[in-house]
Amino acid sequence: MKSIKSRMMLTSLIVLVAFMVLTAIALERAVEKRMLTAEENNLKALMYSVLAAVDRDSTGLSITVSDARLFENALFDSGSGLYALLYDKKAEIWRSLSTDQPFYKLTDLSPEELRFSQIEYNDRSWFQLAFSIRWPNVHDKLSLYELVLWKNAEDHFAQLNRFKQTLWLWLVITVVLLLVLMWLVMLWGLRPLRLIGEEVQAIENNQKQRFDSSYPTEIKPLTQNLNLLLQREQHQMQRYRNALDDLAHSLKTPLAVLRGLSEKSSEWTDEDRHTLQEQNNRMNQIVSYQLQKAAMVGGQSMARPINLVSLLEKTVAALRKVYSHKGVSIELKSDLNSLLRMDESDLLEILGNLIDNACKYGRKQVRINAIQLQQLIRLTIEDDGAGLEPEQLQNILTRGIRLDQTQEGQGIGLAVVNDIVDAYDIGMKFNQSILGGLEVTLEFSNI
Amino acid sequence: MRAIVIEDDQDINQQIVSRLKQEGFAVDSADNGVDGLYLIKEYPSDVAIVDLGLPQLSGLDVIKQIRAAGSNLPILILTARGKWQDKVEGLDAGADDYLVKPFHQEELMARIRVLIRRAAGWSDSSLQCGPVVLDPSTQRVTVSEQEVELTAFEYKVIEYLMMHAGEVVSKSVLTDHLYDDEGDRDSNVIEVFIRRLRQKLDPDDSLQPIETLRGRGYRFTLIPAKTN
Repeated sequence: MKSIKSRMMLTSLIVLVAFMVLTAIALERAVEKRMLTAEENNLKALMYSVLAAVDRDSTGLSITVSDARLFENALFDSGSGLYALLYDKKAEIWRSLSTDQPFYKLTDLSPEELRFSQIEYNDRSWFQLAFSIRWPNVHDKLSLYELVLWKNAEDHFAQLNRFKQTLWLWLVITVVLLLVLMWLVMLWGLRPLRLIGEEVQAIENNQKQRFDSSYPTEIKPLTQNLNLLLQREQHQMQRYRNALDDLAHSLKTPLAVLRGLSEKSSEWTDEDRHTLQEQNNRMNQIVSYQLQKAAMVGGQSMARPINLVSLLEKTVAALRKVYSHKGVSIELKSDLNSLLRMDESDLLEILGNLIDNACKYGRKQVRINAIQLQQLIRLTIEDDGAGLEPEQLQNILTRGIRLDQTQEGQGIGLAVVNDIVDAYDIGMKFNQSILGGLEVTLEFSNI
Repeated sequence: MRAIVIEDDQDINQQIVSRLKQEGFAVDSADNGVDGLYLIKEYPSDVAIVDLGLPQLSGLDVIKQIRAAGSNLPILILTARGKWQDKVEGLDAGADDYLVKPFHQEELMARIRVLIRRAAGWSDSSLQCGPVVLDPSTQRVTVSEQEVELTAFEYKVIEYLMMHAGEVVSKSVLTDHLYDDEGDRDSNVIEVFIRRLRQKLDPDDSLQPIETLRGRGYRFTLIPAKTN
């Protein structure tokens, strides 16, 4: 269950179906009971009308039903499904004209008992109403008789089934309609959430700085707080960087002064001057390295996408100026238009250091190439310098990182590049270039 | 050669200025961006050294305004941050080279010399015009591989003339680029130095390296061996 929509739909489906099924069952029961009561009442009414036709027979010793006093037509119509039978203690003494099949006396009632029942008889369903009556003969002697009415129940059940079918059909239709309605309501209700998703994407893509659509009151506090958070993140980043810049400035300038002093030849012995300069270099490198490392943004959550090739072009243009006296030709080949999700200053740090190294160690040619390979961008920077021995290739990174052992001239550049590359999970490899020098390959997957 | 140094840190500013003077430059300096921009606009100079983190007007803005005014003055930026973003932005704004603090004074001087040579169209480290060769790093001048003994000021004059070999250089331009202060500018002194240079470079009058164009100035006549 990944989406709120599907969760809510599933819950509504279960609730709706359970509610509908329970309602249907209750409704069915009630109707069934009502119909049964109606059948019983009908049979009772019929019973009384038949009783009204009961009288002593010609002998005066027993009773019979006078057909002339019966008004119910169904009792005269053979196969009407309505039958009346009169029994004395021993046997049947009268049956209605409609009776076309044998009916046995099934009941054994106590005097004046009225009993309604639904029974199976001859493979059919029947309603039966039996009444035990006392009737005096001419000698005023009371005898017990039993009047039994049979009614074919098949019509009743057919009607009940039709009702049930209609009921269930309408219930299913109602459930489907309600679900569709809920779906539409949910789309409408969840629209603000979808809007938030779209705005987050726009902010990520740098098309927007903040959430500025109008949101319902339930969501407004969320977007307002997110806006505050975004603003605070931007400010904090800026403050952090300013503080680092100030620190760099305040530490590096005294170091520059110390270096200048150490170069004044008269006041120091050669050995002192050498030591002073060496220590000064080391302090400077450590300060630079730590500051660059701290200033690195590295995998910022909402990094704005930047265009790799336009930054490459900018860096190359800058370095062409710096190395123009050396006559190095920097060739940049790429028609990519892909965006990388990383901080601009971090990417510039990587490009600046690597291309600067290539220009520094290359003789006349530096070649830069960026291509897209499925889900990653591969950038290669090659030079035609002396390159490195295989074992040097292996150690190039560790040597760069161990600041305390770095020699003068081996800048902190590569160590900083390595830190940034690690932070963004960018692949970096060093190989022998076909131009003769070093080939650095970077694989960016944060596109 | 005249250099302008714009750096707000007094110690570094002084170190650079005194070193440049040692190297024979006429130097103007400022400790903020506004004064620096004024110096650059008012005084013809050969190179500017601009710190990026300046008060009042940032180094980046100074460079942008210099370039917007159409000047090709070679500019070297100094940055304390050492971040590539700063370097690329500075170069993009119009600087020609950068140096990260702290730096070696030698390195700064070497970079400045390269920038000045490049701006004048020279690509080699030494300037060669016919048999005359000038090496800015050692400040030595040879004619047909024979070293010529020159005073500091004579060297400044010949360096400027050779740097702009083939161009007419007026006396006022020469004084602008060679003298530190307004006070002791006397064009007669220039004439004296030119005469002495002619004697030292060309004792038998066979080369005639410096031509006088009456009312206009001087021209170094020997053909420069520029590669570009």
